Amino acid sequence: MQRRLARRWIIWGVFIGVFIWLIASPQVWQAVLGAAFPGESRVIYPGASLAALVAQHVRLVAISSSLALAIGLPLGVWVTRSSGRGFLAISSDITSFAQSFPPVAVLALAVPLLGFGTVPTVVALFLYGLLPVVRNTIAGIEAVPRDLLDAAYGMGMASNVALFRVELPLAARVIMAGVRTSIIINVGTAMIGAVIGAGGLGSPIVAGLVQDNIAFVIEGAVPAALLAVIIDQMMGNLELTLFSYPRR
Amino acid sequence: MIRLEEVSKRYADKIAVDRLTLEVGAGETCVLIGPSGCGKTSTLRMINRLIEPSSGHILIDGRDTATLNPERLRQSIGYAIQNVGLFPHMTVGDNIAVVPNLLHWERGRIEGRVDELLNMVGLEPGDYRRKYPSALSGGEAQRVGVARALAADPPILLMDEPFGAVDPLTRERLQGQFVDIQHTVKKTIIFVTHDLDEAIRLGDRIAIMESGRLVQYDSPETILAAPANRFVRDFVGTDRALKRLSRLSVAGIVRPAPSVSLDTPVRKVRETLDEQRSVWVVDEAGCLVGWLDRDLALLDKPVREVMTKVRAESVSITRQATMREALSRMLGQGFHNLPVIDDKKRLIGEVTLGDIEAATSEVKA
Repeated sequence: MQRRLARRWIIWGVFIGVFIWLIASPQVWQAVLGAAFPGESRVIYPGASLAALVAQHVRLVAISSSLALAIGLPLGVWVTRSSGRGFLAISSDITSFAQSFPPVAVLALAVPLLGFGTVPTVVALFLYGLLPVVRNTIAGIEAVPRDLLDAAYGMGMASNVALFRVELPLAARVIMAGVRTSIIINVGTAMIGAVIGAGGLGSPIVAGLVQDNIAFVIEGAVPAALLAVIIDQMMGNLELTLFSYPRR
Repeated sequence: MIRLEEVSKRYADKIAVDRLTLEVGAGETCVLIGPSGCGKTSTLRMINRLIEPSSGHILIDGRDTATLNPERLRQSIGYAIQNVGLFPHMTVGDNIAVVPNLLHWERGRIEGRVDELLNMVGLEPGDYRRKYPSALSGGEAQRVGVARALAADPPILLMDEPFGAVDPLTRERLQGQFVDIQHTVKKTIIFVTHDLDEAIRLGDRIAIMESGRLVQYDSPETILAAPANRFVRDFVGTDRALKRLSRLSVAGIVRPAPSVSLDTPVRKVRETLDEQRSVWVVDEAGCLVGWLDRDLALLDKPVREVMTKVRAESVSITRQATMREALSRMLGQGFHNLPVIDDKKRLIGEVTLGDIEAATSEVKA
């Protein structure tokens, strides 16, 4: 178990090393894309370096996902408590509703209110990432077997003690799955931020589509896909490291 | 001491417990029994306030539990439930340590207590402390559940069908162990079951409930001998006499058994066999390996060649067995006496049919 986990982290480390080397080496992209698209005069997006684009992208995702977690987790927990149970239905309705909006529509609505740039993008991503976190937090906590709660309370745990010692540890896997989904959705959706000037890996894609330059599109899409895989792996390893216990 | 005074629990459409008055003395085991839905579990859960009574009072050592902090109250009452409820994300040791942790015991004291309890329920601490519940068998999990309930040495224990989810053989063994443990710890226990045999074996007093009401509250002997009404009579069934045997352990009627070792010279065997028709044969370690008939002992052959070999566990019983088990073994095998062995299969004596008969007639008298 321990050795398997260590191996997973090592593989992940190698992966992220390769990724960093790749985004810090424009000459590699120049060589590969230049060979693939000999007809194009420019194969590297001139607006910003690849490293800067990835940094912007990661920042967008980090801020919006942190917000989604910071709001979604307590919200999901609260509506399963006796004090918040009345809001269980409405909160899952609202979060579902937030997700049913197309992200472009959220941006279109956000621009007149919040202007161009990072802020409206973060708002849209936050709303988007909220649902999986809230939904899985509720589902995970609700799935804790009745017997275990009975035992917890019967032994004299107060309800907040039972929450932290029993309910959250047992729900952790389901909650983590929601967090993972939320972040991965955001890595993809953050592309749209480029349309309203938030930067990120969407910028070369938008530019590439406008100028009919496939090389630019690839320069944005490939790192975004790798980023999603790396983050997903990291979350999976974190989950195994922090919340794993032997199951039947 | 626990005292329930006119305790009722009403739900919107039905009465679960109806003006129940019950007193359980310190160190006594009271078994609540009745058909499902009779209110026995509700009664149990009102004692540690997992549910609140609609009316009436519950007093523990004279103090009304309604005036106590519910968490504090529950920490002072051991609680074991049917599906054990071990926390799967905690090791066996951490599961047992839940209440000591809630009470902020020191680490060293908790570790010592965990090992002590694992030993008490017959699980080797070195092997089990770090295991997770998923690695335990049903019987082992139940034993950990009992250890967990006993962790902070509470004076009171509430047990809701703690042996309900295991196979009959394991249940039998757990019940025997329960009797032994209760003998040393002397807790005030309220035990819910729907298994009458279990109630008779474990209870000092049995409270029979029917649709929320207490029908009879008496010693098992009295309930079997003098059922209060038709419901109780039907409930205890027609094999009352046999059931009474479950109350009696064979420990009191084990008598020394004649035995010879595999290498005893035949001449010596004949001396031992003077009075007896047969004799048990044990190996160097004292473990039961067979028996020898008088007729065969007359042959001039070594004991090991003429004896009847047996598997110790299939013909013998332990000191903890009930007379009912002993009798059933005897009838099943056509024996008039059964060897009694300890947990290492060493012969410690025997039990005879005559002695069981004698013991039961004493009870009747």
